[in-house]
Amino acid sequence: MTTAAVELKDWEPVIVAFCCNWCSYAGADLAGTSRIQYPPNVRIIRVNCTGRVDPDFVLDALDQGADGVLVSGCHPGDCHYTSGNLKMRARWALLETAIEGAGISPDRVRLQWASASEGQRFADGVKELTEKVRKAGPFRRKWT
Amino acid sequence: MTEAEKLATLSQMSPTQTALVIGGGVSGMQASLDLADQGFNVVLVEKTPSIGGAMAMLDKTFPTLDCSACILTPKLSEVARHPNIELLTYSEVTGISGQAGNFKVKVLRKARKVLEDKCSGCGDCVEHCPIEIPNEFDQGLGFRRAVYVGFPQNTPLVYTIDDENCIKCEMCVKACEREAIDLAMKDEEVEIPVGAIVVATGFELFDVSKYPRLGYGEYKNVINALEYERLINAAGPTAGHLLRMSDGKIPKSIGFVQCVGARDVTNQVPYCARVCCMYGIKNAVMAKELQPDNVKNVTVYYADIRAYGKGFEEFYNMAQTRFGIEFIRGRVGEVAENPKTRNIEIRVENTETGEYLQHEHELVVLCPGILPPKELRVIASELGVDVDSDGYLFVEHPASNPVDTKVPGVFVCGCAEGPKDIPDSVAAGSAAAMRASITLAKGGEV
Amino acid sequence: MGSGESPKVGVFVCHCGHNIAGTVNVEHVAELASEFPNVELSTHFMFMCSDSGQALIREKIEELGLNRVVVASCSPRMHEPTFRKVVEEAGLNRYCFEQVNLREHVSWCHMKEPEAATQKARDLVRMSVARASLLEPLEVKTVSVEPHALVVGGGVSGLRAALDIGDRGFRATLVERTGNLGGNLAKLSTLYPNNEPAKDVVDRMSLAAEASENVTILLNSEVTNFDGHIGNFEVTVKNNVTEEESEMKVGTVIVATGFDPFEPIGYYGYGDSPDIITLSALEEMKRDGTVLRPSTAQPPKNVAFISCVGSREEGVKGHEHCSRYCCTAMAKVAAELREEADEVLMLYDDIRTFGKGHEDVHRRARQEHVIFSKYNKKKKPAVKINDSGIMLKWNDVLSGENCEFRPDMLVLANAMVPPEGADEVAKIFSLTRSADGFFNEEHIKLAPLTTHTAGIMIAGAAQSAKSATDSTTQASGAAAKAVSLIARGEVEIESTVASVIDELCSACHTCVTACPYGATSIEATKGVEVARVTEAKCHGCGTCAAGCPSGAIVMRHSTDDQISSMIAALLSSAFVHGGGEK
Repeated sequence: MTTAAVELKDWEPVIVAFCCNWCSYAGADLAGTSRIQYPPNVRIIRVNCTGRVDPDFVLDALDQGADGVLVSGCHPGDCHYTSGNLKMRARWALLETAIEGAGISPDRVRLQWASASEGQRFADGVKELTEKVRKAGPFRRKWT
Repeated sequence: MTEAEKLATLSQMSPTQTALVIGGGVSGMQASLDLADQGFNVVLVEKTPSIGGAMAMLDKTFPTLDCSACILTPKLSEVARHPNIELLTYSEVTGISGQAGNFKVKVLRKARKVLEDKCSGCGDCVEHCPIEIPNEFDQGLGFRRAVYVGFPQNTPLVYTIDDENCIKCEMCVKACEREAIDLAMKDEEVEIPVGAIVVATGFELFDVSKYPRLGYGEYKNVINALEYERLINAAGPTAGHLLRMSDGKIPKSIGFVQCVGARDVTNQVPYCARVCCMYGIKNAVMAKELQPDNVKNVTVYYADIRAYGKGFEEFYNMAQTRFGIEFIRGRVGEVAENPKTRNIEIRVENTETGEYLQHEHELVVLCPGILPPKELRVIASELGVDVDSDGYLFVEHPASNPVDTKVPGVFVCGCAEGPKDIPDSVAAGSAAAMRASITLAKGGEV
Repeated sequence: MGSGESPKVGVFVCHCGHNIAGTVNVEHVAELASEFPNVELSTHFMFMCSDSGQALIREKIEELGLNRVVVASCSPRMHEPTFRKVVEEAGLNRYCFEQVNLREHVSWCHMKEPEAATQKARDLVRMSVARASLLEPLEVKTVSVEPHALVVGGGVSGLRAALDIGDRGFRATLVERTGNLGGNLAKLSTLYPNNEPAKDVVDRMSLAAEASENVTILLNSEVTNFDGHIGNFEVTVKNNVTEEESEMKVGTVIVATGFDPFEPIGYYGYGDSPDIITLSALEEMKRDGTVLRPSTAQPPKNVAFISCVGSREEGVKGHEHCSRYCCTAMAKVAAELREEADEVLMLYDDIRTFGKGHEDVHRRARQEHVIFSKYNKKKKPAVKINDSGIMLKWNDVLSGENCEFRPDMLVLANAMVPPEGADEVAKIFSLTRSADGFFNEEHIKLAPLTTHTAGIMIAGAAQSAKSATDSTTQASGAAAKAVSLIARGEVEIESTVASVIDELCSACHTCVTACPYGATSIEATKGVEVARVTEAKCHGCGTCAAGCPSGAIVMRHSTDDQISSMIAALLSSAFVHGGGEK
């Protein structure tokens, strides 16, 4: 595995996901119990609320070589903590600007709402992001 | 505590602080936990060597396909460890007298021949036992020794010697380093004072051989649903490999026959067993899930699909759309075996098309209804509680007081009152605990 | 164990029978994990949650002096409490436990990709080991429980729950939005399976509730504000007539808000003829006397019923579920109408008379010569209305024939749907909803009455469509949960709250605006302004910590370091062909 060509052929997108415990982590659980199959590229980090997700976590993950980042939480209005997800939504706008400013494709990040009953929606979100990231190619690795 | 000390303690319980729960299935376990969590003492009597009931035998549960053992096992531990619950397994209630606030309950402690306070569940005795007999827990498909636990999560984790099959060779006695085996142990009876009683005796599976036309017992590749559960269970006799009994091959085509011993007036089971449609669909889905490349066709033969509970209809839809399970409306007339292939031909009229079908399957699973257990009548008469026409305990005001029998201080939950699925049994267990706790808190006053 | 001690992590990988091991190579994962930093022991076992699995964990903690435990098994939403108890029994702090979800998040959703699933499992275990190494023991706190329960909803479920709590000797306050008790049940005539008049049931229960010295009934009232934690909730109830607000403290809550009968606008000509009515409306008519055809006020001679109106509609959000009560209710009233009517027709899809005594009801309808006809689900019955009345056309599946019938009254068996205001109730009590719109229980099989919000129970049709019997069963059960809390008198609460590192705080107020609960404030300590967290108010969402520009807020058990360590553990070593290292 030394040449770039081999690397690219074997490359599989790596996606870090931050899921809130109450909606999206549970939604991912439901996807599992319903045996909904989706790409195995995502690694979930459980947080209490999307409001806990510091934009720095997202940038750190990209900086360290993640090809994509997913932040997933309760639908606006359904937050277990009343409004943590709205705070995340507000931060997300700034985060997107920063990401674009750094010349990173916005296709690599995704903020999505998925409730505890939306296993399919969660799986679809992962699928869509994985496909987009796959199209965008490896991040930060091609020039190293 | 030694057995003698335990019996002495039990005979001295304070009736206003103690409830009896008869039956250690999921409903009785829940009733026990909810009483014990309030601070009351609970004596939980279970006739088999382990609590867990029928749920412990199931592989997956509908409608989420959660694995049964995974969700039940922690409950087993919780019951076994609760400081307020006294677990009497391998025991039976033989007599009840008195009234609310002050019942006297006779419990027979069947001789387990293994000392509960000494056995560590290590299983060193097992390999020394020369006797092999079919394991009831695996529906007779696997084997156990005369010294045994039915399943690995047996709770309490204490071995039992089955007196009927034991040849008293004493090999196990020598093998046990803890000297936990006592072949001279005798049955003992203890009278326990309690203030309230919860009946949670569960159900018995309908004996599908009562329909000779469906071939059970005659053809090897006709099995019942509980046997199927054990077949696909990782801890079961085939380590979870779905295969048919005649030749060990993975069946490419499976037929599930619904309503066997349910909604049938002539076989004295006029009522709906409430669980078979859903467990049938679940088992059909599991066949596809376990062997997606090998199992090509799964067909369910039904009368009505009764997907009534939370998430059930959605699961039924998923079985059709995602898993491609075929559903044919028709009560199976008869089955026949192809003597060469040992395949089973199902003969049925598709009532939706009027067609007469002859479908060949490599395995046929009969989905039995459920019956009140035989001992329920005995317990009911000891308690003075009425039994309804179907043989379950009678409840006078089901809408307002769904777990109250006509005898004050006696409550019913789970399938003792009528067929129920797991969540309904659990809810009823909690409800019976609530009602029993009121009796106890009021000292039996009604 | 002190926090300064160096981490000794034990990793326990669960087979879960075939559930995990059927897809993930668990032995391999356990082997790899033994090489991860700080791992003292890594092993695998058939069922970690079984008694013997639990014993293994305790044994290894004691034998090897493990001070952090990682169990790689199922979702922590199910078994985190189980394993926390296990490590506690072995003398470890419960917060030194970390669970990896190899089942719901790996084996079950990547069943056809065993290699990729095994890699994912390896990565997740590596991430959790990194986090476990940074976990800190936290003090386990208990709070007292206010001996008072709030019951929301005055239908049969709410009544049953309040009565049980009161009879057990504890205080219950029942809040009902309307001016009457009995909810939807009070609109029915008689109940299956024993023909008990609904009025008798409602009267028996509401009279008992009114007579109980422990039960307070607040009619025309709604909960407008709700705050606090398990054991100590603060509730504001507003009387919608007097506009008066009252406040109370409760230790626990039972939500029994019931259902609304679905108004089937757009279905089978509903609204186009006065003689097309819902089953709910028919029941009200029966309750009030005799059933009369609305257009003529004469007893109907030819009645037709259609099942599953607003129920069992695949792909229609909020209407996919079976409403559970209607088949039996319909069969019962159809048989009763036969006493007067010449012909009664019941169009159905499946007959779901599943409960105790329901088949008897079904059989009686057949004996009374109610005509049962199974309609085609793909091509539902058509209703035409003209001057001569209602014309019903459908395809009878069992005979294959196209049929016609001219009912002088058409009854639609309408669905049970979540009641108006369910959105607000969900928000107030932090409840989640299932796809059918009803409230989610903690676990669909074994915890149908508790919810994911500690101290809050659900019962009756609030949880899913169901009959009176099934509702009151749940209500007594939910009452048992509430009473357990009150009887114990105290309850453990989560210690996962935010705290402030004074030296780093610049008193910028970001956390004050971020907190949804008003738990953060700026206070002067020794003359310096710094942020403060009122722990009793903090729910642990961590929004403040994410917002803090100075990194001055530590969200306990979810610290920046703990989260970053997972990212780093994944990305620094997860890829053999990874970027920076080449």
